Amino acid sequence: MDTPLREPTFLILTALAAQPMHGYGLIGEVAALSDNRVSLRPGTLYGALDRLVDAGLVEVDREEVVDGRLRRYYRLSPGGETILSTETERLRRNVEAATARLSKRTRAALPTTPRTAGGLA
Amino acid sequence: MNDLERRYLRLLRAYPTEYRRTRGAEIVGTYLDLAAPAQRWPAPADAADLLLGGLRQRLRAAGVTDLIPGVRLAALLALVTASALAGVWGTAELHPPPVEWGVPHVGPFVSLGVVAWAAWLLAAAVIAVAPSRVARWAITFALLLTVALPPVAAALGAPRPPLMVLLPQVVLGLLGLALPDRSSRAIRLAPALSALLAAVATEFLVGLDAVGTYYGATLEIFLPTVGGLLLVVGALLATGLALGGDTRGGWALVTLLTPIGFLAVPGLADSFGPAYGAITFAELAVTAVAVALAGPAALLLAVALRSRRTSSPQPSGQPCPTCGARA
Repeated sequence: MDTPLREPTFLILTALAAQPMHGYGLIGEVAALSDNRVSLRPGTLYGALDRLVDAGLVEVDREEVVDGRLRRYYRLSPGGETILSTETERLRRNVEAATARLSKRTRAALPTTPRTAGGLA
Repeated sequence: MNDLERRYLRLLRAYPTEYRRTRGAEIVGTYLDLAAPAQRWPAPADAADLLLGGLRQRLRAAGVTDLIPGVRLAALLALVTASALAGVWGTAELHPPPVEWGVPHVGPFVSLGVVAWAAWLLAAAVIAVAPSRVARWAITFALLLTVALPPVAAALGAPRPPLMVLLPQVVLGLLGLALPDRSSRAIRLAPALSALLAAVATEFLVGLDAVGTYYGATLEIFLPTVGGLLLVVGALLATGLALGGDTRGGWALVTLLTPIGFLAVPGLADSFGPAYGAITFAELAVTAVAVALAGPAALLLAVALRSRRTSSPQPSGQPCPTCGARA
């Protein structure tokens, strides 16, 4: 699978990193992880899961029938864990670089406080 | 089984049969889990999600996974073209012929078309600043105004742009609805920039008296030239992307053949008809119908050819890309 990962893919893998989940649980978890910014619909979610299963990043964990409805649980595969770790590390380095630059910029923009003659003493 | 479940199952027919068998219960189950307690009908967004998901799955089964990204790329090019045309026509609307000519006009404008062109320019601005969901509403609004022009102009007895100007605009706009959900700022600015450049160029040419008035421009030459430019840009993009192993450009080019054909309609109708006299409505209608059939047929043919090539057996000794088994 191509990297960098698209945000919905990254969030699906992140959600599965905690524990195996079924489709309904994944939709809620992805929404929670993204502060409700990314809202997956089932048609889109299962399309993404198909691609992730084909790419070997996600595996089917087990199936259950709850209230007459089929629930298939998915888990992160070892390959998926590797990709998620690599992508997380890449993002972390980007965040650190951006944070350093921004704090440098903030420091440079701070007005210099005139010193009181003789100090405060 | 309740009504809601039955309706979701009906929508699920968008998916291939085999896929429905293995995944159908799971997808519908998830929709039912998400449904409100008293909900009886699938939401329009759910229906769109299932139809699009079904289309994706069918393309995936046919081995044509890069068609949708290609269509999204074509949508961006279509929006750039539609916005540029709106810039041209919108500017031309501001230059009605002299009163002494006695040509009917609408106040200070050439025709009612000014309303539609304003909506297209607004859509270009919305694409630049708003999310794709909002931009699609703005495009739909411009499309509706454009489609409404002929009947409204007929009812009011007011002049309107010729059908050969409106038709390609509608086709470009319909394709533009497939714009990507996320694009870079530079890409989102492209339609607005193209509209601005086209408006400035038109104003300059009108000032030079080089294009005459709005409909004095020779549409049989101008519109096919725009179509030709779009074809060249699409072909260059397809070649450039193909060099990097990206097939989206090829699909974008095949998808663009339909709007390019509609832009070429005045030229095609002119060349098919008699050598003298203006293009008749019948010539235009027949040419437009032929383009409307040939364009999508070319796309379907390309999909069928690609699908056949994808499903052909692997050469001996090569591992299967899915299971790794050797033939």
